[in-house]
Amino acid sequence: VSPSAPGEWTSQLRRGILELCILLVLRRNASYGYEIVTTFGGQGPLAAGENTVYPLLRRLKTEGFLETFAKDSPAGPPRQYYRLTSVGRRRLAVLEREWAEMVAAVDRYMDKGDAS
Amino acid sequence: VTEQHPVVERYLNRLQEHLDKLTPEERKEVVNDIRSHLAESVAAGRTLDAALESLGPADELARAYAVELLINPRQVADAAVRRPSRVSRFLKVAGLAAILSIPTLVIVVTLFAVGVSFTVSGLAVFAAGLIAATGELPYWIQMDVPPIFAILLGPVLMAAGILALIGLGFYIRFVTRAMRAVLPKGEILPGRITT
Repeated sequence: VSPSAPGEWTSQLRRGILELCILLVLRRNASYGYEIVTTFGGQGPLAAGENTVYPLLRRLKTEGFLETFAKDSPAGPPRQYYRLTSVGRRRLAVLEREWAEMVAAVDRYMDKGDAS
Repeated sequence: VTEQHPVVERYLNRLQEHLDKLTPEERKEVVNDIRSHLAESVAAGRTLDAALESLGPADELARAYAVELLINPRQVADAAVRRPSRVSRFLKVAGLAAILSIPTLVIVVTLFAVGVSFTVSGLAVFAAGLIAATGELPYWIQMDVPPIFAILLGPVLMAAGILALIGLGFYIRFVTRAMRAVLPKGEILPGRITT
């Protein structure tokens, strides 16, 4: 394993974070698959392809955090909109707190490392 | 791109074949999501080829779904919880049908018979009363009461018959509603975009 290629580590880390980010994207407004996917397109550590985002959306729905409703689209077939359920909102609050604690904890280790 | 585009349909068919571990409803929703994604991509200016390439091969996309939906332990727990609930929903419907079927048969037959016979005979008694009051009754009708009695009794019988028919209508509506309340509902409801 090359030390300069974080690949596997990053993708493990990203899976959990992506879940938090999808809930964050849907916090204010419902959105449909294509729009959500393009949010995570492009470059950067959180870039994720359709074959990651769509299955994740589906799992969040089966877990009851998201619900869907159909709406007509000028592009053709009806859009499936995803929105947070009340369980999803509670889940988002928990994940936000966990994330903040995790970042703070990692920061403390980084400070310790710098001090020694 | 319309739903009938052969390349899109071939891709979605392959996807569906490889999603055999999912429930039929899940499979349908996944296919809808991807169909809509392709249409939106093309509407946004991408070529269909580029959109399909970005999705990756259908079997790999199906595997990504399978990993996310089946290997996730929470999903397994959910499935274990959901299966008996589907069985219990069936038992509920079957139980309700059994409890309602015999009383329903009796009530429907009684109300219908009473309704029709009272309405018709009320009309006949009223008509006979009128004929007796204004002229000669035909020889095959025997009437031992004064005509005015028949004229008054006829509408009362008719009213009782019509009431029974109205009651029958209410009862059928009640049973239909009770059955519908137990049966599964569609889950995709039209709603507002903002939450």
